[in-house]
Amino acid sequence: MQKLVEMKGVTVNFYTYEGVVQALNNLDLDIYQGETLGLVGETGCGKTMAALAILRLIIPPGKIDSGKIDYCTVGGQTIDLLSLTENEIRDIRGSQISMVFQEPSAALNPVYTIGDQITETIILHRNRELARNAQAKVDKLLAEDNNRLSILIRPLRLIQKSIYSTIANDPFAFAPKLVGRIPIVRRLLWRIDDEALLIASSLLKEVEIADPSRVLKQHPHQMSGGMKQRVVIAMALACCTRLLIADEPTTSLDVTIQAQILELIKKLKREIQTSILYITHDLAVAAEICDRVGVMYSGSICELAEVTEVYQKPLHPYTKALMAAVPKPGKELSAISGFVPDPLNLPPGCRFHPRCDAAKKVCREKQPALIEINPKHFVACHLFTGDELGKTS
Amino acid sequence: MKGLKFFFFHMRKNPLSIAGLVLITIFAIIAVFAPLIAPTPEGQFNSYLIPRDGYSQTPKPPSDEHIFGTTQGQYDIFYGVIWGTRTAFQIGIIVMGAVLLIGIFLGSIAGYFGGIVDEIIMRITDIFLAFPPLILAMAVTVALGPGIQSVMTAIIIVSWPSYARVIRGDILAIREEDYVEASRSVGSSHLRVILRHVLPNSIYPIFIMASLDIGAVVLTAAALSFLGLGVPEGYADWGQMISFARNWIVGTPSNAFAYWHTVWIPGLFIFFFVMGWNLLGDSLRDILDPRLARR
Amino acid sequence: MDFRTYLIRRLILVVPVLIGVSLLIFGLLQLFPPYQRAMLYVTDPRQMANIEEIIELYGLNAPLWQQYFTWLNEVLHGNLGWSPVVGLSVTDAIINFLPATLELAIFATPLIIIGGIWLGTKAAANKDRLIDHTTRAGAIVGWSLPTFWFGLVLLMIFYGYFSGLLPPERLSTEMNIIVHSASFNRYTGLNFFDGILNGEWGVTADSLRHLVLPVLTLTVVNTAFIMRLMRSSMLESLGKGYILTARAKGLSEHVVINKHARRNAMIPVLTVSGYLFAAIVNGVVITETIFNYKGLGWWAWRTAVMLDVSSILGFALFSGILFVLSNLVVDLLYARFDPRVRLGGGI
Repeated sequence: MQKLVEMKGVTVNFYTYEGVVQALNNLDLDIYQGETLGLVGETGCGKTMAALAILRLIIPPGKIDSGKIDYCTVGGQTIDLLSLTENEIRDIRGSQISMVFQEPSAALNPVYTIGDQITETIILHRNRELARNAQAKVDKLLAEDNNRLSILIRPLRLIQKSIYSTIANDPFAFAPKLVGRIPIVRRLLWRIDDEALLIASSLLKEVEIADPSRVLKQHPHQMSGGMKQRVVIAMALACCTRLLIADEPTTSLDVTIQAQILELIKKLKREIQTSILYITHDLAVAAEICDRVGVMYSGSICELAEVTEVYQKPLHPYTKALMAAVPKPGKELSAISGFVPDPLNLPPGCRFHPRCDAAKKVCREKQPALIEINPKHFVACHLFTGDELGKTS
Repeated sequence: MKGLKFFFFHMRKNPLSIAGLVLITIFAIIAVFAPLIAPTPEGQFNSYLIPRDGYSQTPKPPSDEHIFGTTQGQYDIFYGVIWGTRTAFQIGIIVMGAVLLIGIFLGSIAGYFGGIVDEIIMRITDIFLAFPPLILAMAVTVALGPGIQSVMTAIIIVSWPSYARVIRGDILAIREEDYVEASRSVGSSHLRVILRHVLPNSIYPIFIMASLDIGAVVLTAAALSFLGLGVPEGYADWGQMISFARNWIVGTPSNAFAYWHTVWIPGLFIFFFVMGWNLLGDSLRDILDPRLARR
Repeated sequence: MDFRTYLIRRLILVVPVLIGVSLLIFGLLQLFPPYQRAMLYVTDPRQMANIEEIIELYGLNAPLWQQYFTWLNEVLHGNLGWSPVVGLSVTDAIINFLPATLELAIFATPLIIIGGIWLGTKAAANKDRLIDHTTRAGAIVGWSLPTFWFGLVLLMIFYGYFSGLLPPERLSTEMNIIVHSASFNRYTGLNFFDGILNGEWGVTADSLRHLVLPVLTLTVVNTAFIMRLMRSSMLESLGKGYILTARAKGLSEHVVINKHARRNAMIPVLTVSGYLFAAIVNGVVITETIFNYKGLGWWAWRTAVMLDVSSILGFALFSGILFVLSNLVVDLLYARFDPRVRLGGGI
């Protein structure tokens, strides 16, 4: 399988009044094409930050201080997302890499209709295609109609045809943009909106919303949480996305709706074969939907392997403790001793060492690197690095 | 300590707030040391009456005797603006204090007890808020007769409703918070809950509003004096001093700015005084407002 | 609730407030001696000679509640009393002076709203950068300016120094003669428009010349107010989740700010525009006084200074009612603008 995204040594710092908070600490992560990678960890470990870093949506006082994010483009080239210009990254956002957030109510703008918000993405990224479709329709009309009315409208249609073909050839041409700004003349572009709505309608059907035409005219507050999340997913898939980042998409929903959305995502996974970066703190959900799982702790990955490996044969002490902490009937509850590290006062060396039973001297001094211990099984822990085996603290 | 550190970090980042603080301090010093800076003439009982050097209507430019010159009726401008600072602080602090007391009191009751008490108090505020403030203040001042007390009373009457509403709104929000319910459930009396939980949490926006409004209060009082509806003639009040300048803005045929001092000096005093409070209140608001993404 | 229910409910609420307003005015009225109160029932200067009779006739020594209804009766019939200051009945005076003030407001209000919104958006979008600091400093300066002082300074420069370039009052003497001549039809009472409608371009130009300074005075102070509100509203809007989504969709900053954030941010500003109306009425009193611009504000000032009770209370009542109504309109507009209220989904 080919790698789609590879994050290498990404460090994100937040410069606040209280000091510098390190959100991502030398993060290494790779996502293959067509796979569903789960990113699990406690709240505050940096999962969302990792996602935002990929899309370069980290805003001040946060800064991506170092690292590379290699991305394999459609043409097969590898580019570093962190080195792209604003325009280039905006091209990728929403089309090749898109994101679904936790709170569907917050993600949708209350004053615009669903149709408006979905077509916004489509028009932004698929302009050419829309123009071509519109042009084809106009061509057909120009060819067939012969009655008096159509002769009157003919000039109008010819103008439309020329505008659409201009857009089809060069989406950034000046003339159509100008037309779009002038109030009444703007109506000439109505076919593009129409085409976009057609696509939006089929998208809504994909996410299993009945009666899409009615929903397109509604406003967010008129819909339930589950439906809103479906809409958000539809919006994310609007432009043949290659990587869908889902940041805890079901956390704020009811359990039954949660199950529905998960089923939906699984179905989409089968049909569209896009890669998915699924972020969650719910281990059960990750187990159900992911091919591989990465466990994050305090800003970096501590273990990364296939889902069965992680759940059945965890290697990192933190992962082991997490698995043990999952409540099972008949078993006594076990918690992980200690607290999540204070971001302003991070422990030296391995971030987990204060809570680790097997901590050694080197754990206090050096941060472990993410190394492939078994085939396709990566762990960041000094217990497995070999050169310190045998020495006790 | 952490709060203070946060406060000063932001203050440092915001030069405007420091400017505000500096301005207000300067004015405060002027007000406190007024008797030293501009001593009241021998035998004059009421320090707030500006001494007159003759009765000629034409203002005289700044000179050795009159540092800022004299205005219409030969009132000494220097004395007027210095003691006018005292008047401004007086009006600002007394009015604001009264408004806060009344507003917080009525607003708390309305917000905390809700129901019909709330409805009645809200309707009353609606009625007062139904008037453009200056108009109502004018009407009240006319009704109560001239004098600085009428001005203060009028402004108090006009200003308290907004504060009552804000406090009521905050209390309504806080009342629903869990910690209030928790406190009640262990047996705290209403008063205790209000004083210990509700007020401390809702008081910040009120203080921001208050510091911003002191400026507005002084401006309104000055406006009323300017219109001739407030302090008696010759009283050390900035607004009134500007009203004296009205007839002299065109200057003489040879020099349009001949009487600039009559307009500019009292005007600048008001301007910087109000601006100092506005700068302070504005930056306080920026710093303390939790909604504006604290960075 | 849907829009219609909201409309009805809101309209009903207006009534007790109006009653309260009348009560407040009446209360203020009672602070005056019967002689001055009698002025409210006088419609003709000749009646002034028979003040005693009038006091008796309108029961000004009768119990309060009776007086209230007598007074209310008069008010509802359009009789607000007599204004000795201008020699007209109060109602006539209001009608007479209203167009002048309206002219000021018509020019000032759009400038204030559009200017404030635009500046506020720019400041919020560039938070903590130079443009933010300068705009905010400008706003604070504007907000701290005593209107009366600013107007005087403007006059000093543009009328005094530049020898009458931008003069006070409404019209110069020659134009005034034209306006009051028989051939000039006063359609609206607003000189600018009347000039156009009558084809008298000189009048229009002259009225503009006289309007520049008063409009400027009004605008500067009030734009600051709107700008600050818009800025904080925008900042709040920019912190919301849908902004992150919009960015994640790949929209340009320009679209994110102007299309998504601003629409939401304008809603609170709209609701406040009712208060803008009050601020303009406030400002108009002082502005008209300074510029000797004979509108409602100027009249209010003269009557206040001359203790013309009926006028000042009549004007207060008038502005109170107007303000209540404008707030009603704003509330209804808000309900229309914000789909959450309009489509009955609840907030």
